[in-house]
Amino acid sequence: MNFSFDVIWHNLPYLLAAARWTLLISVAGMAISIVWGVFLCAARISKNRLLANVAALYISFFRGVPLLVQLLMAYYMLPYVGLDLPAIAAAILAVGLCSAAYTAEILRGALQAIPAGQTEAAHALGIPGFSLWKRILVPQAIRIGLPSLVNELILLVKVSSLASVVGIGELTRISQNITGQTYRPLEIYIAAAAIYFLINLVISGLGRLAEKRLQAG
Amino acid sequence: MADTTPKSNGAGEPIITVRNMGKSFDDFVALRDVTLDVNRSEVLCLIGPSGSGKSTLLRCLNFLEAYDAGEVRLDGELIGWQEGVSPRKARSSGTLRKQRQHIGMVFQQFNLWPHMTALENVAEALIQVKGMGKAAACEKAQAALAKVHLSDKAQSYPANLSGGQQQRVAIARAIAMEPRVMLFDEPTSALDPELVGEVLAVMKEMAAEGMTMVVVTHEMGFAAHVADRVAFLDAGRLVTCAPPADIFAREPDDARVRSFLQTYRERNVV
Repeated sequence: MNFSFDVIWHNLPYLLAAARWTLLISVAGMAISIVWGVFLCAARISKNRLLANVAALYISFFRGVPLLVQLLMAYYMLPYVGLDLPAIAAAILAVGLCSAAYTAEILRGALQAIPAGQTEAAHALGIPGFSLWKRILVPQAIRIGLPSLVNELILLVKVSSLASVVGIGELTRISQNITGQTYRPLEIYIAAAAIYFLINLVISGLGRLAEKRLQAG
Repeated sequence: MADTTPKSNGAGEPIITVRNMGKSFDDFVALRDVTLDVNRSEVLCLIGPSGSGKSTLLRCLNFLEAYDAGEVRLDGELIGWQEGVSPRKARSSGTLRKQRQHIGMVFQQFNLWPHMTALENVAEALIQVKGMGKAAACEKAQAALAKVHLSDKAQSYPANLSGGQQQRVAIARAIAMEPRVMLFDEPTSALDPELVGEVLAVMKEMAAEGMTMVVVTHEMGFAAHVADRVAFLDAGRLVTCAPPADIFAREPDDARVRSFLQTYRERNVV
């Protein structure tokens, strides 16, 4: 059996349609990851012991349980507590909530990397807390954490393939289906790999651009 | 600087009064029963062995450390704690910020913000604290940088400046706020020896212009030649506070001062 570009060409529309689900899970997951991650990080470093402990527990749970298991839990368990979510929502939620735990830890690490003296200097000048965070801590934390954050987002695109287990027709699932019909796994998986790779190429490119811009100012 | 009282006017009266001030960290008593005046336009140097509490004393003056006994007043106003409230209750963060605006501070490690240029470092508090417009703040920041002889480094980032230059930017950042007092916490201790001179020179110029300065230092030459008075601390107590001539020139009365200065004498520093 020779390698056939025709197989890829014929099935490309289906693969690209499936990639839209991959993108949806990834982008929505990223949004949850970053927004929720910021809150988690704030809770984790808060002086309120209870809040900090709850956040720490959350983080260790979502980091300690395989995402595949979390996904299946979200899909099968949430209906029991009255949350009957469509599969796509369960997948987005699982991916986003898990990734948020990592994002929170990346941000916390980045904040800790900023010498305490910088905060002290701001206090000595009478700079208010909000300005301290907005102008001094967060810009530096983003700069310090950016490479790890980009890493995390790329990871998120890749783990979106796990959503195939709850029946979502994203890229990996559709590739499997097409392979089942055409018996051309080599072509189909190469095409799927290329699509994943391109998506992540764009993300890492955007990350590099952001790093450059942050460095400049 | 505009609202700095010149040496001829009001000099000699106390601007900071410290009364029976104490500070403990858990079981460790860092300061006990410190009573001290800082007079307007005076340069007061705090010296003493490491761990004697001189940095803690300095940090209590702007409430970066909350003293737990006695009081610290700036122009009569109690710093950090609410007036006449017992048990002690810290002032609101807004009031604390207002009080700190009048007290400039320079740190051993400079503590510049590395993602901002020298100019932005100096202008930041003018914008965020004094509410100045960006253009006015930059103009004022530029003038402060000129005072520390760094006009040409306004657009440089801290990473591209030498330690001495960074510390001078930090001084500019503090004086741009037109504080009534300046606190220096070992401002030259983190510097290479050849860079110490440029920072001390700027500090001398500030002293000559009548800035009230409290300086924790190991630079005995600076203390001997620039200070109006030198306070010696040991084990959290203020041992003596006297003109430098009394402390350095003849054999000091106190044995602890004598043995402390002996190590410097052996190295021909004083």
